Amino acid sequence: MGAELINQLGEALGPNGLPYPIPLHPNLVHLTLGLFIVAIGFDLVGALFPLEKRVFRFLAIPASQSNLFDVGWFNMVAAAIVTFPTVAAGFYEMLLAQPPSDEVSAWGLGSLSTMLWHGVGGVLLLALIVGMAIWRGFQRYLWRQDRARQVQWSYLGVGLAIFALMFAHGTLGAQLAAEFGVHISADRLLRAGQDLSVLQVISPVLGGLW
Amino acid sequence: MFDYLPPLNNHNLPYPDTMHPIVVHFVIAMALFAFVCDLVGTVTKNPRYFEVSWWNMAFATVSIFIAVIFGQVEAGLAEPYSAPAEATLNLHTILGWSLSGIIAAITGWRYVLRSRDSQTLPLAYLGAGALLTGLVFFQTYLGDKLVWIYGLHTVEVVEALRKGVL
Repeated sequence: MGAELINQLGEALGPNGLPYPIPLHPNLVHLTLGLFIVAIGFDLVGALFPLEKRVFRFLAIPASQSNLFDVGWFNMVAAAIVTFPTVAAGFYEMLLAQPPSDEVSAWGLGSLSTMLWHGVGGVLLLALIVGMAIWRGFQRYLWRQDRARQVQWSYLGVGLAIFALMFAHGTLGAQLAAEFGVHISADRLLRAGQDLSVLQVISPVLGGLW
Repeated sequence: MFDYLPPLNNHNLPYPDTMHPIVVHFVIAMALFAFVCDLVGTVTKNPRYFEVSWWNMAFATVSIFIAVIFGQVEAGLAEPYSAPAEATLNLHTILGWSLSGIIAAITGWRYVLRSRDSQTLPLAYLGAGALLTGLVFFQTYLGDKLVWIYGLHTVEVVEALRKGVL
């Protein structure tokens, strides 16, 4: 968004361009990605359980197939819930972003293209994650309630395809931070040609050393 | 010796992007969600959630050692340019190594508890989970400071360091 418009918030914004020192979106992303990937991972382990029985026995770890599917289900539900605030925080912080306009990323995209794709991709991934949670629920409680293998192979396949999308999407997000310096205090101060000593007073409570 | 190492890119890394912040997804999300599951399982008296918690902790245990390895490589190449940045990185490093021990110990304890009785969870374990949750939050906050305040491994900061501006 334009500098004049963002100046409406004026004093409220710190050197990172946000009204708080640490961006929220990248932290919520830990939860979205961790929960989704592990959900699919455990469903995959559950689906291949007959092959792994001996491994679990060798490691002396008691494991049952239905418990592995519990992890797949509950982690997916948690991923679907937590991704709403992830996307909301992402849009809030993207609306306040002021990336440089004269550089391209390692993927050859400008900062605006990177932000637009990351925004569209975020909404798409939210829809996909919620859709996967609903699909997973149907398999668990209706379609495959009495089957040993609670998930369809197609569900796992789509899950792995979403991993690929997440990789591309996550890289765009990482480029916004590490290459365009969006909401990074040090990067923004350096670009503006300012002194970095202000960094020590950004977080007054745990400032300085911590 | 340096001739045999891969060249460093504009993030001061021998590979395209930082790996540590990605691997830590699987420690942060799993450790926190495990505690949520323990709370839900205790309140609803449904032992199913205890199993979900155990498997998440087991996954977090494997992940944190990978996170520490990448963290150590990337910390070594980070060039913290000011005293507070260096102090933050040191504390993050010490707490990271400590957490690898703490998470492994808690998961080991959980393995024993689960082997004896997988249907209930003692209050003391919930206390350890609460403590771990606090430590994970603090550790994440320290890592956040390294990236979002000091900009370690970002192109802008690496460039400034190479030019001698920082």
